[in-house]
Order: sequence, then C-alpha cells, then structure tokens
Amino acid sequence: MEGDAESRSRLRTRAFLDGLSLMKQGAEARVYRGRFLGKAAVVKERFPKAYRHPALDGKLTHRRTAQEVRSIVRCRKAGISAPVVYFVDYVTNCIYLEDIEESTTVRDHIISMQQCGKEASNLCALADKIGQVLARMHDEDVIHGDLTTSNMLLRPPCDDHNLVLIDFGLSFISALPEDKGVDLYVLEKAFLSTHPNTEEIFRALLQSYSSNSKKSGPVIKKLDEVRLRGRKRSMVG
Amino acid sequence: MTETYKLELFPDWKATLLLFKNVQNSADLRRKAIDGSIDGTLLNPAMIVDPFQILVAVNKAIHLQMLGKMKTRTLNSEILFNLSPTNNISEAFKKFGLADNDSGVLIVLTEDGTKKSQEIISQIDGEQVPITALTEFTDIKKVKKMYKLTAQEEKISTVLEAVLCRMSAKDVV
Ligand SMILES: Nc1ncnc2c1ncn2[C@@H]1O[C@H](COP(=O)(O)O)[C@@H](O)[C@H]1O
Repeated sequence: MEGDAESRSRLRTRAFLDGLSLMKQGAEARVYRGRFLGKAAVVKERFPKAYRHPALDGKLTHRRTAQEVRSIVRCRKAGISAPVVYFVDYVTNCIYLEDIEESTTVRDHIISMQQCGKEASNLCALADKIGQVLARMHDEDVIHGDLTTSNMLLRPPCDDHNLVLIDFGLSFISALPEDKGVDLYVLEKAFLSTHPNTEEIFRALLQSYSSNSKKSGPVIKKLDEVRLRGRKRSMVG
Repeated sequence: MTETYKLELFPDWKATLLLFKNVQNSADLRRKAIDGSIDGTLLNPAMIVDPFQILVAVNKAIHLQMLGKMKTRTLNSEILFNLSPTNNISEAFKKFGLADNDSGVLIVLTEDGTKKSQEIISQIDGEQVPITALTEFTDIKKVKKMYKLTAQEEKISTVLEAVLCRMSAKDVV
C-alpha cells in the first residue's frame, strides 16, 4: 500500500516537473525553474545514481537533501543569504527553493568584468564581500563542501555585490580548522582555474576572510598545509 | 472576497481562504470544527504573515496525507501543525488554532472542487473581509517570538521568508 502511495506521489511530481523548464542537468541533480504556489521557484531534484546500490543510494540521497536544507536554514539564521526553502519532498528528494530572479553567477560576473577590462578595483570589492560572507559561514561551522564561483549568485544589480550562496548538497557542520581550510582550498583551485590571472583578487578574498573571521588563524594555517600537500602530490604524480 | 488558490502539485485540489473580523461565535465555531460539522482549519490570523504561509502548510499536509505520513489525525489539523515551527502538537493548537474569544478568524478550506464555502460562511457570526486585510490581523511581534527570528537574519530576510524556512525545515533541524 505504502509503495503504491509513493509511486503515485512520484508520478505527480514527475508530471509537475515535466511542465517546468530544465535549467541544469548535473551528475546528481536536475534544476528546474517554474512557479510553485504562485511564486517564482527553483526545484532541485536529486536522482538515483545507477551505479550505486539502491538502498545505499536512497540513504545517501536523502541525507544530502536533508543536509542541504539544514545548512541553508542555518546560514540564513546567521544572516548569510541562501535561497528560501519552500518545501522538501523526501520521496522524490526534491527541494523547492526561492528563485533568485535575474541573478548572475559570480563566475559569469567575473568573466564579463574581465572582458570589459575594468576588473581590478571592482573585483577586489567583490572578493572582499565573498571573504566576508565565507568568514561568517565558517564562524557558524558550516562547511559548504563545493565552493566555486558558480555556486555564488549575485542579486541584481550585480554591482551591489548582494551575494547568495547556493548548492549546499555536500555541506556539513564542523568546527575543525582543517575542514574550513579544505573548503577554502577547493575554492582557490576552482577560482584560479576558472579565472586566469586572478591571484591578486583571490589574495584580497583571503585577506577579507582573515580580517572578518574570529577563528581565521588556524584555518589559514591549515590552508597553507593543504596547499603544500597538494603541491607535493602533484610533484609526485 | 473568498480567495481560492491552486496547488500545482495537486491539480485536483485547491485551497480557499476566508477571513472574518468581529466574530462573535468563535467558541461555537471551534466546537463545530472539533466535532467535524465544519470541515476546515480554523486559525487565529495573528500568527499569519501572508497567504503563502498557509499555502505552504496546505501543500505539505496534502503531500503527507497521500503518503499516509501525517503527524496528526486529520488534514485540517495537519495544516495547522505544519504552520508551527516545533513538533509539539498541543502547542501548535494553542498558538495557531482559534481560541474561544478571538474576534479575527481565518478559515482554510481544502476542496477537491465539491464542497462549498458558502455553507461555512453562513455559520459565521462576523463580517467577511478580503484576504488582503490579513496584515491588519498579523501580530508581527508575536510572530517573531514564536518563530525565534534573529536580528542577523532580519538583515537578509523578510519575516515571511524566515517563517517559511522554519516551517519547511522543522523535520530536519
Ligand atoms: N535558487 C536559485 N535561484 C536562481 N538560480 C539558481 C538557484 N539555484 C540554482 N540556480 C542556478 O542553477 C545552477 C545550478 O544549480 P546547483 O545545482 O544548485 O548548483 C546554478 O549555477 C545557478 O545558475
């Protein structure tokens, strides 16, 4: 009986999602855009991965969905912008979120700023803002787990640097400097490879992080260690 | 004046909101809701910031009812329970449910298209007002206290948004 109810629920969700527009097809999730209860919404659907054992996969997917919701709410309570959560469906692992309308990813913003050549000062101000937000997030012991410039949105107008963090699917709670250092390392790698010649801008980001976080000392130390490990590994491999 | 909303996930259902002021027979209405002669959720509008808050509660209630996973016994009480930031059912009733001498009354009807709101309106000794008047009933101070809003959060969030996050995350936080 319960199985029947679940499959009917899945079918209803499928019918709804098929009427929305698909924004992104990722490896673990699809992101749709449409209207939900009269509001502009984004629906993030985590789907089963064929190569994982179904039972393990179900548990993992459920855990990520719950963790994403937890981290978003924890961030918002601490004054860090993330999309409002409207509804969570643990049968289909769908999260219904506020659509940050007309937003631009930090990635696209940086690219277009670099193209029109006015980079430096404006981008340093943005880096300063990112450092501030990440400092506050880490001070709340939220580790994002997948920091990239694609997972940061700017509400319009971009130049206001009104930053919204998204995609907390790999996030977790930890007070360990090591976890925070790795979080920053992941961002550094992504940042510098996505945006060539931004070493100076990223330095500004870390500077801002350091001056805004109450606990940055040990984190930056760990970041240095992790960098060194990364470098050694690349020299060997 | 009677506002009806569609629920995208449940095309056969809709939610109807009725708002009244100067209601004289709240105790009577409450009794009727308990014995089932009124098939609706009776709310104290002081805790409601926006109709969207109710729609989110209704959507979740129908979703869980269809899965057989409601935390309360009826769809009407589940809607009320979903509004609460905590998992304490009796507290939810105390804070969000209609009290005997409330003069403002908000009624939520979930219909599959057959039931009539007219029948319920006729039982209310009060004056129906448009749902847009809801803000006149909202007690923002009480809402902030109930949902434990933080000053930091208010810098980036409306009260409604903070309320919605509490409601949607209460089973995982
Ligand atoms: N809440 C949202 N509002 C607007 N755009 C979003 C939202 N969530 C995700 N996106 C967009 O969808 C892409 C993929 O989302 P995600 O899988 O969460 O990283 C992002 O890079 C954004 O461009």
